[in-house]
Amino acid sequence: MAPQEAFVDPVPLFVPCSRTSTEVNKTGSWRYLRPTYTEKTAPCGAACPAGEDIARIAMLASRGLFQEAWETILQENPFPAVCGRVCFHPCEGACNRAQLDEPIAIHQLERFLGDTALAAGTQAAVNERSAQGRKAAVVGAGPAGLAAAFFLTRLGFTCEVFEAQPEPGGLLRWGIPAYRLPKEVLQGEIKRIENRGVKILCQTPVTARTLEKIKARNDALFIAGGYGRPIRLNIPGGEMACDGLSFLAQIRSPATFAISGTAAVIGGGNTALDVARTLLRRGVEPVLVYRRRRQDMPAFAPEVDMALKEGIKIKELSAPIRIAQDPNDPESFPLNYELTLQKMKVSSTAINGRARVIPDGNKIETLRVQGVFTAIGAEGDNLGDFPPGANQKHLELSHCQMALQDLPVIWGGDLATPVKSVTHAIASGKQAAIALDTLFAEGWDAVATRLSACRIGSGPTVSMAAYLGGDRERRSARVVTFDEINADYFHPRARVTPVTLDVEQRLPSFAEIEQTLVTGAAREEATRCFNCGICNACDNCRLFCPEMAVAVENTARRINLDYCKGCGICVVECPRNAMVLEEETP
Amino acid sequence: MKQVLEGSHAVSEAVRLARVQVISAYPITPQTHIVEAISAFCADGTMDARFLCVESEHSAMAAVIAAASTGVRAFTATSSHGLAYMHELLHWAAAARLPIVMAEVNRALGPGWNIWMDQTDSLSQRDTGWIQLYCEDGQDVLDTTLMAFRLAEAVHLPVMVVLDAFYLSHTFEPVDVPRQNQVDRFLPPLVPRISLDTAHPRVLNQMAPPGVYMEMRYNIQTAMAQVPRRLTQYQKEFRAIFDRPPGDAVEAVQCEDAEVVLVTSGTISSTCRQVISDLRSRGEKIGMLKIKMFRPFPIALVRRFLGAARKVAVVDRNFSFGASGVFAQELRAALCNLDGHPPVFGYIAGLGGRDVTPDTLVEIYRRTQDCPTPPEESIWIGLNQEVVQSWYN
Repeated sequence: MAPQEAFVDPVPLFVPCSRTSTEVNKTGSWRYLRPTYTEKTAPCGAACPAGEDIARIAMLASRGLFQEAWETILQENPFPAVCGRVCFHPCEGACNRAQLDEPIAIHQLERFLGDTALAAGTQAAVNERSAQGRKAAVVGAGPAGLAAAFFLTRLGFTCEVFEAQPEPGGLLRWGIPAYRLPKEVLQGEIKRIENRGVKILCQTPVTARTLEKIKARNDALFIAGGYGRPIRLNIPGGEMACDGLSFLAQIRSPATFAISGTAAVIGGGNTALDVARTLLRRGVEPVLVYRRRRQDMPAFAPEVDMALKEGIKIKELSAPIRIAQDPNDPESFPLNYELTLQKMKVSSTAINGRARVIPDGNKIETLRVQGVFTAIGAEGDNLGDFPPGANQKHLELSHCQMALQDLPVIWGGDLATPVKSVTHAIASGKQAAIALDTLFAEGWDAVATRLSACRIGSGPTVSMAAYLGGDRERRSARVVTFDEINADYFHPRARVTPVTLDVEQRLPSFAEIEQTLVTGAAREEATRCFNCGICNACDNCRLFCPEMAVAVENTARRINLDYCKGCGICVVECPRNAMVLEEETP
Repeated sequence: MKQVLEGSHAVSEAVRLARVQVISAYPITPQTHIVEAISAFCADGTMDARFLCVESEHSAMAAVIAAASTGVRAFTATSSHGLAYMHELLHWAAAARLPIVMAEVNRALGPGWNIWMDQTDSLSQRDTGWIQLYCEDGQDVLDTTLMAFRLAEAVHLPVMVVLDAFYLSHTFEPVDVPRQNQVDRFLPPLVPRISLDTAHPRVLNQMAPPGVYMEMRYNIQTAMAQVPRRLTQYQKEFRAIFDRPPGDAVEAVQCEDAEVVLVTSGTISSTCRQVISDLRSRGEKIGMLKIKMFRPFPIALVRRFLGAARKVAVVDRNFSFGASGVFAQELRAALCNLDGHPPVFGYIAGLGGRDVTPDTLVEIYRRTQDCPTPPEESIWIGLNQEVVQSWYN
């Protein structure tokens, strides 16, 4: 009570007031719509070939929980530092934030988390079964083989990996130049896989004969030998061209380079670009020769842009028809070559997205160059009776081919993936691990069903976290669209720009072009993420509920249906579509 | 200490000194400077208060109602359309008996779109149960704001501190800003009689059936009726602490022998003081009754000061369409049952920011002097006849 003032009468105060609880009024009885917490699939995770839980990774990173964020990547992918650099990040192409301002720099974030963990030398606390007594052999220590070994080990298999080369890594080791992937980063991530108990046997090529011995010692086999054999250029003088992949492998030893002047690089894929950009760094002026148009190149567009920025010329609609020693200057050393090109033209509209080209009459162009390199594709060995024919029980999966021979055999990596990329190779290794585990636990017929049950979104991507059960398994496969984001809660904010070397700084060295984000920038970038479809405990549902019917129990939110009258405000105010409103079923 | 302050900032300073705990407001010209300064006080720690940004005046009033219901000192400010938008919640705040203080800067309502001085916005809220105090100058603004909290918390009714757009809100004047310890003595911490408490849950302002509703309304009027007496008492305390008199509910200037008494409010009163001084020096018998407190309407004081006047001329800077100026209506109602009350002339002047100059007031004085009885209709002063006539052509 206020102190009484003597000079006047007390002020009467008569207002409606009741101590009767309104709890008796169970407003839940009015409800005909029911809100539920239903987490959904973020488009980035569905687009990621490895099915990383990006929305959750960004949420953890935004809170500075970098170790937990990194472990969330490792649930699905043992190579964050590698993929943060070399993956062509289809996740960013799918990012809903692009419709507000710009996509989240997911690859930068992944690289930051990967590098931070490498620097700290930590091992990930990812769920792991104890050894089950089964042994699996893996042929090829490239990204597919190493991923398969990593996931099989987590599922309780004992794994040995056989590698023909003196060091593991496959294409990551021998095919990607250091300015895109420093050797120490790759070695660090492979070391971590070895530390989980995977045994890698280098300089141990697998032949048809040794394969039989390996089969005898193991319960299952995963073959990911990759595309080791380059396709040769089948034109007159084609033997004078150097194979681009071999060049990339050799360039790592400093003594082996002797050409100068101009070199032609034939091809339009990522390897062709890597070869050209590597030549540039060795003081050679490369010319990329491609038979279709620039927009038809199978190389990832950002790599093409980077190459152009560095000054590499692209000669499109040009098909090589002959290589000869320069007749005018037969005595020169290094040798001069005459590369004859048939000019091409587009004949009709696209086939499979690429233009069909035909010779443009007799138009010929001759290049005088000091070297010719080819990067026109490679092919694999038919190790282990590949591809499996009708004579054996077999199954074609999205990223693998599986057959039941005297033991289960799965072919993966470049041999079987729809897109030849590092992340697809990793996806292939994971798919193989899940397939083998299911095969032993539940039999052949369960494999396809199991794989389908742990898909992320509607695509072929599978999730190990979902396979092992947990929150992710319970998420709806429905992919959240931008329309379903409550954009009122998000304001345009610029995407992080990594520090990059100037073109002048890049060319004399093989130093990495983009720098890893610093901690503050990475965390800041992570806060831009909408966290599509997953609850980040923002508590809007609880704050906006007019009936105070949202309760927090053990950090999870629960709706008290005695009082929820189904107004749907919580669902509308959820910024990230982690809830749904459904009609009550009577 | 004397400072040169904008009228708006005189409000802000008073709110700071009053140790207000919750402020919620939505910007609107000419009010915005008030809450701009307060939000800066909240941001830099000068005030230990929460400033709630909202998307509308309706929500601003809802927010301060909620805050005041938990027993904290709450403040908002608005103007014109913002005030109109708050309308239903003004009724609520009063009937919920919440001691909210609001600064209301008088501004015309559109259309035509007009940001200038006009009292129609605040006067059209006269039936909401809010106490209304009109200010004359910068010092009056600061003093009235402090007084508003004291009054509101004593009678459990909200108070509107009303100040003229631009003439007060945007004009710099010397203002004596008191020390915090002085203000703390005048305005001790709020001891709430209504305070929601999660430890002792209860429901406020639920259904009130016909059997009690009327008593609740009578209850509000009982509290309202105490205001004049309490104001007088708090003025004494104010004067003792701050060593200057705060504005009276009604101020009579040379009314005793006046042939014509001009009734004014707001900044027109200052202009009128000059006119009185000029005309009195020439032997003219003019007086002024300044009405500061419009709600509750000071009937007793009006009767005391005007009962014996010969002629009364009300200067209304507002208009109630189909009737007259609002002050004139109220004045007539206050006087009509008094035997031999003076004739009341109603003048409309200075709408939508048009200047009311000494000449305007002299014209009102002369017309009242020359006219034996008031016409039925209000007299609109300073209309541009050329414009008015052009509508008929």
